[in-house]
Amino acid sequence: MSDSPRRTMRAPILSAKGIVNRFGRQTVHEGVSLDIARGEIFGIAGGSGSGKSVLLKTLVGLHRPDAGDITLDGKAIASIAPAERARLIGVLFQQGALFSSLSVAQNIMLPMREHTALTESQQEEIAAMKLALAGMPADSAIKFPAELSGGMVKRAALARALALDPALLFLDEPTSDLDPLTAAAIDKMIGDLNHGLGVTVVVVTHDLTTLLTLCDRVAVLVDRGMIVDTPDRLLRSEQPWIHAFLHSSRAQGAIEARKQNHGNG
Amino acid sequence: MMRAQPSPSSAPSFSVEAENDTLRLSGALDIRSLGNAEALLKSARSKHKIRSIDLGGIDVLDTPGALLLCTLHKADVELTAVRPEHRALLDLVCGLQLQRLPRPRKLSPWRESVTQLGKSAYAAWTDMIDVIGFLGRAAAAVGHAFIHPGELRLPSISRQVTETGVYALPIIGLLAVMISIVIAYQGVAQLRPYGGEDLTVDLVAVSVLREMGVLITAIMVAGRSGSAFTAEIGVMRSREEIDALNVMGLDPMVLLVVPRILGLVIALPLLTFFADLMGLAGGAIVGNVLLGISPLQYPDLARRAIDGSDLFVGLFKAPVFAFVIAVVSCMHGLRVSGSAESVGRETTRAVVKAIFLVIVLDALFSILFERLGL
Repeated sequence: MSDSPRRTMRAPILSAKGIVNRFGRQTVHEGVSLDIARGEIFGIAGGSGSGKSVLLKTLVGLHRPDAGDITLDGKAIASIAPAERARLIGVLFQQGALFSSLSVAQNIMLPMREHTALTESQQEEIAAMKLALAGMPADSAIKFPAELSGGMVKRAALARALALDPALLFLDEPTSDLDPLTAAAIDKMIGDLNHGLGVTVVVVTHDLTTLLTLCDRVAVLVDRGMIVDTPDRLLRSEQPWIHAFLHSSRAQGAIEARKQNHGNG
Repeated sequence: MMRAQPSPSSAPSFSVEAENDTLRLSGALDIRSLGNAEALLKSARSKHKIRSIDLGGIDVLDTPGALLLCTLHKADVELTAVRPEHRALLDLVCGLQLQRLPRPRKLSPWRESVTQLGKSAYAAWTDMIDVIGFLGRAAAAVGHAFIHPGELRLPSISRQVTETGVYALPIIGLLAVMISIVIAYQGVAQLRPYGGEDLTVDLVAVSVLREMGVLITAIMVAGRSGSAFTAEIGVMRSREEIDALNVMGLDPMVLLVVPRILGLVIALPLLTFFADLMGLAGGAIVGNVLLGISPLQYPDLARRAIDGSDLFVGLFKAPVFAFVIAVVSCMHGLRVSGSAESVGRETTRAVVKAIFLVIVLDALFSILFERLGL
């Protein structure tokens, strides 16, 4: 996927410079900078409490950092109008965050209803397509979030995140709480969507298989800073935490999976 | 939320050119131009027999746009000059197995109202059985706690008394004063034509002690503590904490319900007594302002108006109301299922049902005490 035609040398879609986040006396991020290129799958990893979720919230504009600038599509993120930001960014929250009083279809149609002038039937057609893109059967559209299994919640929430065809898709732990088969299916779907829709994906995860097989580049949060590199070079990294993280007994399966993926092309 | 109406200036340009059996599209075909594009394509296809669509001029394409093109493609229209960057998107969207969204089944309004009536009646019936069953279980658990006082959770009972009783003192006191002012003003206005305005003192004292003190306190506590019980237990239920207790061999009835019942049964009579005192104080204020009765004279007048049974009648009802409020709200808390919405729904139901039952019981008590001559 690294030779995708969309991967050009254009300006990064999202860039963060010198992000500082503090909570009380505790500094979570100390001058973190990153550039996310159009069309790539960018992973964010780190131990529990290393500030992955805070970084995600900062990048999507939900959390204002204590210092630093975030530019989305060439504009400061705070200056972008909410409706325009909704077209640029889609977020899959960790627990799905589906609105429990709305059916799956209504959840997906909500952003379209508020931000576009489409008719009800057009919205329904598009919602049916998004459900199919997320790999959900159409008859689940009238179900309510409480009636869905964990994997289905993630798929429905992904369909909602894709509702306005965002250029940038943020995924917060997309494979957590899922069985390995479902997790693998979600991983494959993310890859397919990235390839087919050309959507840039930022994925925050602990899942080593996701990080090593899916991501073009990975940012590892260590010691309030960040190391960004390709999975291959991170695997050879001497940094103690990264080395331990990528060479634990649990990582072996993921490394095998990476070899297989790359062996098959 | 503000509805963002896309202004014409922000809508990206999209145009259609017809040439023999070919349509040449150019500009942006995306979610913003979709409505316009669909209309343009429809009118073009109604005028000409279209065999192919030239996409060379399309510079922005998203999934809704691709969906439109795929529908045309399936209707035997060839898509030509597709830019390489749009190829993957079209392949992905055209390859989807699309089905229409199912519609929730709609019944005729008549049938709907009849089934609704039946469902409500059935729900009311099962609800009554549930309440009676839960009352029995709660009474058994409380009785068990009294036989084995060692198992009583004194710290949590005392916390409940603090939460439901002590913290409610300011609002209950204020309400009691207000209510007695309302009654006193009415009394003076209605009794003055008969020259009986001095009887207002009796009216306020008797009605506060027998009815108003306990009723206002019970309603306030149902709204304040009953809703808290339901929400606390409901959130524990939705976060599987109740299941965790069960697995550890601990009875939620003993751990959560009994302390709340006993706490409220202790707190509500005390609150009622406080409300009675504040109500009488309110009567004294109005008596001074409207009738010129000095605050020193008032206790004497009030004592002549009331007898011991008035105070007893009011205070006797308080623990009964407390028991009902606590049982109903704990029951609804335990009924919560999963979603956050259900916590809100059960809380509403608990408060409505508790207040309803308090007033029904109060009416029954009035009849009972009248028969007993109290």
